[in-house]
Amino acid sequence: MKPLSGLTTAFVGAGCLVLACLAITAPPSFGHVGSIVPGFVLDWGVVPLASPFFALLGMLTIAVAVWNAPDGRYGWGIAAFAAAMGAVLMARSVAAFMLSWELMALASVVLVGAHVEVRAVRRAVFSYLIVSQAGALGILGALGILAVHAGDTSFAAIAKAAPQLPDAWRNAALGLALFGFGSKAGLFPLHFWLPRAHPVAPPNSSAMLSGAMLKVAVFGLILVFFDLAAPAGTTWAVVVIAVGAVSAVGGILYAAIDSDFKRLLAYSSIEHIGIICMGIGAALLFAKSNAALSASALTASLFHAVNHALFKGTLFLAAGRVAKVAGTVDLDRLGGLAASMPWTSAAVFVAMLAIVALPPLNGFASEWLLLRTLASGMDIADPVTRVAAGAALLALALTGGIAAACFAKVYGLAFLGRPRQRHLTAQRETFGWQASGTGILAVGCIALGVAPLVAVSPLSRIAAALVGAPAGAWRDLSVPTTLVSVPLIAVLPVIGGIVALLLMRARRTRYAPTWVCGSTPTAQTQYTATAFSKPLRRIFAFVLFPEHEKRIEIGSSPWLPSRIGYRTSTAYVFDDAMRWASVRILMVSRRGRRVQSGHLRLYLAYAAAVLVLIVVVAR
Amino acid sequence: MTVVQVLLIVVFAPFLHGAMKTLRARLQGRRGPSVWQPYRDLRKLWSKDAVLPEGVSWIVACAPGVSLGVALTLAAAVPLIAGPPAFLDVVALMLVLALGRWMVAVSALDTRSAFAGMAASREMTLSALAEPALLLALLGARVSGGSFLVPHGNVSIAGIVALFAFGVVTIAETARIPIDNQETHYELTMIHEGQILEYSGWHLALLNVAGYVRQFAFLTIAAGLIAPGPVAALAGAAVLAVFITFVENAFARLRLFEIPQLLTTGILLAAASVGARLV
Repeated sequence: MKPLSGLTTAFVGAGCLVLACLAITAPPSFGHVGSIVPGFVLDWGVVPLASPFFALLGMLTIAVAVWNAPDGRYGWGIAAFAAAMGAVLMARSVAAFMLSWELMALASVVLVGAHVEVRAVRRAVFSYLIVSQAGALGILGALGILAVHAGDTSFAAIAKAAPQLPDAWRNAALGLALFGFGSKAGLFPLHFWLPRAHPVAPPNSSAMLSGAMLKVAVFGLILVFFDLAAPAGTTWAVVVIAVGAVSAVGGILYAAIDSDFKRLLAYSSIEHIGIICMGIGAALLFAKSNAALSASALTASLFHAVNHALFKGTLFLAAGRVAKVAGTVDLDRLGGLAASMPWTSAAVFVAMLAIVALPPLNGFASEWLLLRTLASGMDIADPVTRVAAGAALLALALTGGIAAACFAKVYGLAFLGRPRQRHLTAQRETFGWQASGTGILAVGCIALGVAPLVAVSPLSRIAAALVGAPAGAWRDLSVPTTLVSVPLIAVLPVIGGIVALLLMRARRTRYAPTWVCGSTPTAQTQYTATAFSKPLRRIFAFVLFPEHEKRIEIGSSPWLPSRIGYRTSTAYVFDDAMRWASVRILMVSRRGRRVQSGHLRLYLAYAAAVLVLIVVVAR
Repeated sequence: MTVVQVLLIVVFAPFLHGAMKTLRARLQGRRGPSVWQPYRDLRKLWSKDAVLPEGVSWIVACAPGVSLGVALTLAAAVPLIAGPPAFLDVVALMLVLALGRWMVAVSALDTRSAFAGMAASREMTLSALAEPALLLALLGARVSGGSFLVPHGNVSIAGIVALFAFGVVTIAETARIPIDNQETHYELTMIHEGQILEYSGWHLALLNVAGYVRQFAFLTIAAGLIAPGPVAALAGAAVLAVFITFVENAFARLRLFEIPQLLTTGILLAAASVGARLV
């Protein structure tokens, strides 16, 4: 029965919200499940850091359950996926973490591979599986190193032993963790699986994948860098900022030139994970010189993680609706959706303003906080800190600018304008489950934008505890007092917009055809998404390597072509590099297979050689 | 006081535009329109009903109001007679400017005009490069440890370099040669004006006032970066206006794909100003 899976999903979501509240008021510990095998200790508990992640997971899960109500497909898969993510957030020992991490990966693979009969889906699932397992190995390596040093696999013991960690071990653990969690979070250059895997999943699942699972990886990253292997040091701060900056700028650049709505959203997820990472890096960077600023940066990161779940969830659910109603997510074929899908379009409008960080929405609040923190960080005396903060600020401002171009394209060309498909004008969306599921998240975007302190004050306490700043230190920055009033900056524009609409009612308005040099305006005389992103493709040609091909078929006269075809393509340098690397790895391993010839004598020779080696080394 | 300042800027901004237009005509050996012409145009446009393209959504009607609201917010942030409110820091200012730009671009796409679409594409692309320059220039002219409001009166190497960087942004934001040409009559070469081709009547009046106010504010902020005191800032704005008019007469517009180089220069100058402040 379908409603049962939906109710279960909603129940899991509600449970996550409860845990989010408990995590900051009275963190419960669910204790210790005995060890069957030595080292296989399952500890569960809730730490304050998990609170924002539980909150975003809970909100997203409930919205997806509501969205899913009429259809109910993949309901159990979603419920299991959400529960597995909750389990990762609760894990307090190495075995518990890895077990639930793999359960989460497994559930997500099942969801990504829902349409496994399609070849592209199989390829996406395969590359996702490889990256996911390689990442899991990295995480296991990192946690293993830490556990061996601590002599205990519970996170509490590991964190206690962390300050005495030798440098080489710490660096190895941090590097492996950055690799493992970074590959799951879609950080450059390990992102290549993400824009393939997320769009092919069913819409409700892609909302969960982009909105929540990437954040679980961020949770792991923060856990290792600020707790299990703390303190991480300035070099790692610079590395994390650099990785974040490249992911943010690269992600939004690939999103801006893409014309596939869902793939574009997946690339934009890479961008936002990059922004969150820059915040984490900034928190590490300021940790020694200014604890209050460090807490502020981490707060911005956590806040942005929550916000991204809200607006990206809205957009992925809306994209799913668009795919169903219009039959395509190709921006060059969509148009005028606002007229036929008013509810979804309204939610998308809010989410668009949020994702571009425009006031007075939640994306603005968190990006403002991060930019302000970085700007304050430029006052710190240490030159490395200054330069890194300034570079991060530049990258973030550039990202914001390109994001504005990218989403103006999406909203202006797919949702506004004239429909490019005839069947779209006939039907009109009614307010139903799917519209409400999308709407819940959009309302969340508005609420956290208008009253950001609701989220920021608990988050700042969590962040202050993690970076070791006194709980109130953050108040000295004059940021929190400003943050209350900063949504006020949108008061005049909002009033202006409303007054203009009211005046429009009061005054007479005539309507006339759009001017297209005297001919009749049709859907084809509008601008297209591919054309819109052309200047960006040209300006950033040094990374995008765009190519285009024009085909003109000449009819009866050379001056009147009968058909004009235009194709454009982009070289994905990171993907190509990864493909090059994987081909090389396969080649080497194929060669390496020769050592396993199957001859018993050869294996005996290996054993003898190892024996000799051991004797030589142990001598 | 802030309200008075905003009102004064709204009243005076069209005059600055008219004066620049008259000066430009004189430099070209024409008599040109009177300096009061923008006021007459506004009165005429305000009294006319709007004509909108068929089938547009509410966004097209809303965008002029939002654009004017953003311009007024910017006018409140100019450090002249009133200290701006604490929440109008440079980061928030950059993002609120983006709000106005985004709404106008999206409404341009809604008008279904390919000219407007092309203009929106160019405007959004170029401002992606202008935004970092704007933020870094304003942070470069800031005094270390000082407030994050729009900086003013910083007579130092950092301030002067920031002025150059902000000048590039000002040219982009006020749609002036060599980045854009307000007075071209060929739609394909327009950037900012192309977006609002389909606007008419009182809608156009709102958009034009927003443009005048933005121009006044940008020039005053630019001059104020190094000018000691509000009077000097206003005088400096006048000097900058004359300078821009001369540039408009002496140069042609850059080719579209040469503009990014100018804007990148702006970003580098802004970064240099930050560097100069920190040394």
